[in-house]
Order: sequence, then structure tokens, then C-alpha cells
Amino acid sequence: MLSTPIVKDLDIDKVYEPAEDTFLFLDMFEQLHEEQYFTNLNSNSTANFVLEIGSGSGLITTFIAEHNIIPRSYNLVSDINIVALRTTLNTFNDNTENTNCDALRCNLADSIRLNQINYLLFNPPYVPSEEIPSIPDADDISNTAWVDLALVGGNDGMLITNNLLNSLNNILAINGEAYILFCARNKHPQVVEKFKSKWTNFQVNCVIQRKCGWEELAIYRFKKMS
Amino acid sequence: MKFITSNFVRCAVKSCDGTEGSFPLNFQDCKLQLEEQEFNEEFIISMLERLDWSALVKVASQLGNNAIPPQKPSLDDINEVLLKDLHSLLLETQIIEGKMICDNCQHVYYIKDGIASFLLPPHLAK
Ligand SMILES: C[S@@+](CC[C@H](N)C(=O)[O-])C[C@H]1O[C@@H](n2cnc3c(N)ncnc32)[C@H](O)[C@@H]1O
Ligand SMILES: [Zn+2]
Repeated sequence: MLSTPIVKDLDIDKVYEPAEDTFLFLDMFEQLHEEQYFTNLNSNSTANFVLEIGSGSGLITTFIAEHNIIPRSYNLVSDINIVALRTTLNTFNDNTENTNCDALRCNLADSIRLNQINYLLFNPPYVPSEEIPSIPDADDISNTAWVDLALVGGNDGMLITNNLLNSLNNILAINGEAYILFCARNKHPQVVEKFKSKWTNFQVNCVIQRKCGWEELAIYRFKKMS
Repeated sequence: MKFITSNFVRCAVKSCDGTEGSFPLNFQDCKLQLEEQEFNEEFIISMLERLDWSALVKVASQLGNNAIPPQKPSLDDINEVLLKDLHSLLLETQIIEGKMICDNCQHVYYIKDGIASFLLPPHLAK
């Protein structure tokens, strides 16, 4: 078993606390690592750009960097929440000698050059809700809306994820892969069917699925073939 | 923000998508800090192919570094001195404070305490 990074001084009133969804990502990456999935894909010698959107505590990005799961990677993370970004950088530095990490305060991948990302990870705010709170003033770090923004995803919990799915083709490099988490109430089989009929250059499959109490979680791989 | 990241960020305003001025951003009033890091030759070489060289030269010069060759060196004429210079520029140079300005829409993004912010005010957000 690969060790789980330690997160120090997590302020759970401001930053998403790692939960079943986070650990599903770790288990998925551990499994892919055992199958040597990423080393088999990367027999050439070019660097990989990895982007985690909404990194929160930074557990997922730190885990894959600490255990060298994706070869020759430079890890970018984005979050709208500044406290999350600082926590991510601390978690990264506390757990690994690897220093190839940088944090950007940004909506999704809006500030990333097009078609550059080789691996994208997103554990989104996916809980269905009437509405999504508006983003507070950037300096208002004690506003309670920040933690709500980590959780709620509007209608079907899909508002934020749909925004990302619509721009995925522009974000990923060719052969790039996005790993995105869904819960049952996101109606992911329908979401995936719709995506596949719109973006015929993508292959989509479910990599891991798990029942967690009353919640059922799944992570899909969206691979841009051309 | 590490220098290398400047090679992968662009203006976040929707109407700047794909325009020439949206990348690279213009760096101004930057405060830099060198954070020593272990030199990994293989990693720098693996990165070369991914870099937009003219953007790299432009931003380096905005930060006061005019020592970068104007053309991307080929793998044949690359040497350890140059690789070490690149290591120091790309991975060790941190931009702690500063501004990044889009040539296309003139929007100013700020770097504070080492973290760049690309959050847009509501009227510019998508
Ligand atoms: C469910 S939490 C996941 C946190 C962490 N990745 C984990 O797995 O524990 C969702 C994260 O996405 C961030 N987030 C929400 N909306 C976002 C957006 N539009 N762009 C970037 N990040 C966003 C939140 O601040 C939060 O940190
Ligand atoms: Zn612009």
C-alpha cells in the first residue's frame, strides 16, 4: 500500500476536508500505478503537465507526485479558494522532496494555455443544490461561502462539471486524459452518453466505482484521441 | 509562481481566447526569489520540447535575464552549463510579487505572496 500524505493544520471551516471521494482518487491512482498504466503510456521522454482543478487540501496531487505515479510530471493546481491553494502547497512541501508544483488561483482551467494538459484531475463540487453561492470578494477569506463552493454543484450537481466538460477539448493535449468524479445523483450514464455523441474524438470509460454509505461514486476517464 | 509556469498561463478573459496578445502575458514590477532545488538534467531535457521558446525569452528579459539564447538549442548543442541555467531560471526562480498584463485586453493580473490570481471580476467572468 502506498502511504497517504499527511495534511497538517487543515482549517476545515475554510478548506474541503479529504473524504471518500478524495480517497477514491488515491485508490484509483494506486491501482493504475500497480498496473504500470502511466509508465506504459509514457515510453517517450517528454515532460507531462498534470493539472488538478480544485485541489483543496492538496492530497491527490501530493500523492501522485510523492509516489512518482506519472513520469516526468510538472504539477499545476488551480482552485478559486486561496486558503486551499496555500494548504495544497504546504501539503506538497511537507510530504515530498519533489518540487515540481505550482498553484494558480483560477476558475477551472481558464488561465491555462490551450491544448497543453496531459493529465487533468477534478474532484468537483458535485452535490445537487438549488443554486451555487456567488464567489465572495477575493480577499474575504473568512466568508463561509468558500466551503459551500467546494460542495454544491447546482442543478443535478452538474453545473461546474458541465462547464469543464464543455471546454475539455480545448484544455487537453492530444492523447491527454481527464479523470473526473461523479456521484449517482449527477446521472453520469446520461452525461457520458451526451458527451460521447458531441465529442466523437474522445473515449470515455468508468475506471473505478464505489458505494460509500448512501452515496455512490464513480471516476471516469475522458481520453482525447485526436 | 515559478518562472516555468509563465510559459503555460494566458489571459483568462473569454474574448481573448486564442488571440496573439493573450500569451505570453507581460510581466511588470516583479519581485523575484531564488529557491534552491536539486538539479535534474533529465527533467530539464524532457521539458525543452514543451516550452514556447520565444515566450520564454520574452518573459526572461522582462524579468531582467537577457542571457537566454534567442533560438531554442537543439539536443545536440545543449551543454550542462545551459541546462543548469535553464534549471535555475525555470524551476528555482519564483515570482513573489508582480503584475501580469494581457496585450490584447490590458487586464492586469496580480501575483501576491507567490500565488498568481486569474479570478475575474463578475462582468468579465464567463
Ligand atoms: C470536492 S472539493 C475537492 C478538494 C480536493 N481535491 C479533494 O479531493 O479533497 C472541490 C474543490 O474545488 C474547488 N472549486 C470549486 N469551484 C471551482 C472552480 N470553478 N474552479 C476551480 N476550483 C473550484 C473548491 O474550492 C474545492 O477546493
Ligand atoms: Zn486579455
